[in-house]
Amino acid sequence: MLEGAKLIGAGAATIASAGAAIGIGNVLSSSIHSVARNPSLAKQSFGYAILGFALTEAIASFAPMMAFLISSVFRSKNQRKKVEVS
Amino acid sequence: MPNNSHAFLGRTKPTISDKSFLIFRARSGTTRKNLIFMKEYIFFIKHTPVMRVVKDYYVTIERTVTDNAIIFDYHHYHNNYYYYNLSAFAEMQTRTQAPSPLEQFSILPLIPMNIGNLYFSFTNSSLFMLLTLSLVLLLIHFVTKKGGGNLVPNAWQSLVELIYDFVLNLVNEQIGGLSGNVKQKFFPCILVTFTFLLFCNLQGMIPYSFTVTSHFLITLGLSFSIFIGITIVGFQRNGLHFLSFLLPAGVPLPLAPFLVLLELISYCFRALSLGIRLFANMMAGHSLVKILSGFAWTMLCMNDLLYFIGDLGPLFIVLALTGLELGVAILQAYVFTILICIYLNDAINLH
Repeated sequence: MLEGAKLIGAGAATIASAGAAIGIGNVLSSSIHSVARNPSLAKQSFGYAILGFALTEAIASFAPMMAFLISSVFRSKNQRKKVEVS
Repeated sequence: MPNNSHAFLGRTKPTISDKSFLIFRARSGTTRKNLIFMKEYIFFIKHTPVMRVVKDYYVTIERTVTDNAIIFDYHHYHNNYYYYNLSAFAEMQTRTQAPSPLEQFSILPLIPMNIGNLYFSFTNSSLFMLLTLSLVLLLIHFVTKKGGGNLVPNAWQSLVELIYDFVLNLVNEQIGGLSGNVKQKFFPCILVTFTFLLFCNLQGMIPYSFTVTSHFLITLGLSFSIFIGITIVGFQRNGLHFLSFLLPAGVPLPLAPFLVLLELISYCFRALSLGIRLFANMMAGHSLVKILSGFAWTMLCMNDLLYFIGDLGPLFIVLALTGLELGVAILQAYVFTILICIYLNDAINLH
């Protein structure tokens, strides 16, 4: 039963990518708008866009991290006992 | 378990002390070459503590067996027979849980040194940090030999000049409000941080190597030390007026205490977020590539034409992901460095 719960938890942790997708889309949309308004600042805008993308992507990486944590850290009693046999 | 596929027999205690063996019930068709590969894997997993569990088992190679899907069953200590997929053997773990993509991040003590309970071992993490350091130093040494290189730079010199110039512009641009000499005092520390992180991240992309920054202890240690350093610089430069940073301008007085508390928490969270961002990106990226390449490898080894053709999907995704990982490695080093510059700017010129 723990295995099933772990899988459900790992799947639920992936929902966080939705927020990340919206955030990255937002950042890059603003970058496109600003480049359209003032194309001479394209390089500077691109630099800010990449910075914003990286900061937002950082939060997106928390989701797989939590998923792996949930699916690998919790071990059932049987498994724990077997590993300790030596 | 089907009981008509015995390949070999018997269980005797191993006579040679240091080698540990694993018992296998192999299906008919495995070649001797695959089993030799298995012995090397036994040597590899000798250093992990799980070998104590399996020290009572041994390998006998009797006949050829075929490889099929992994069924890993560990119920009876003295009566265990393992089916195994020999071609995916390098990924297999002898523990009872399924192989997890997090095993590439395990820290192995290469030279164990323990003073009482303190753990001073030379681990593979230390080895790869030393390797990174030596790579950077070698690069810079060979470029600046004989007093500083050519006037028209060759490729290596261009690379070093690129990194130097990049961080120089970063520092000059972000830390405003000071004279040039004062600003450049922060430059060496930031250059070293950027170069170290860049080379560490890039080195983790080499197959079978170890990503140093994929452990949060390392990145949090770095980010906490830099955070404490920035706070000290802020206090040094502004005295106790540095605490006015926590109260933004134009705030009505009743709201002030809560806002100060919130700003304090947000300020202390910067240290955490800086380290965790780098760690999460590195770990998630590497785990993802490991999982997908596990799919690709498994599909490659199923003896079926349809799977072989369908294997192109995971292979291309692994290719694209590796490219993304390379970009993320460079980007995360850049983001770490530019955030340090921004926090330094905040501490020196209290907004």
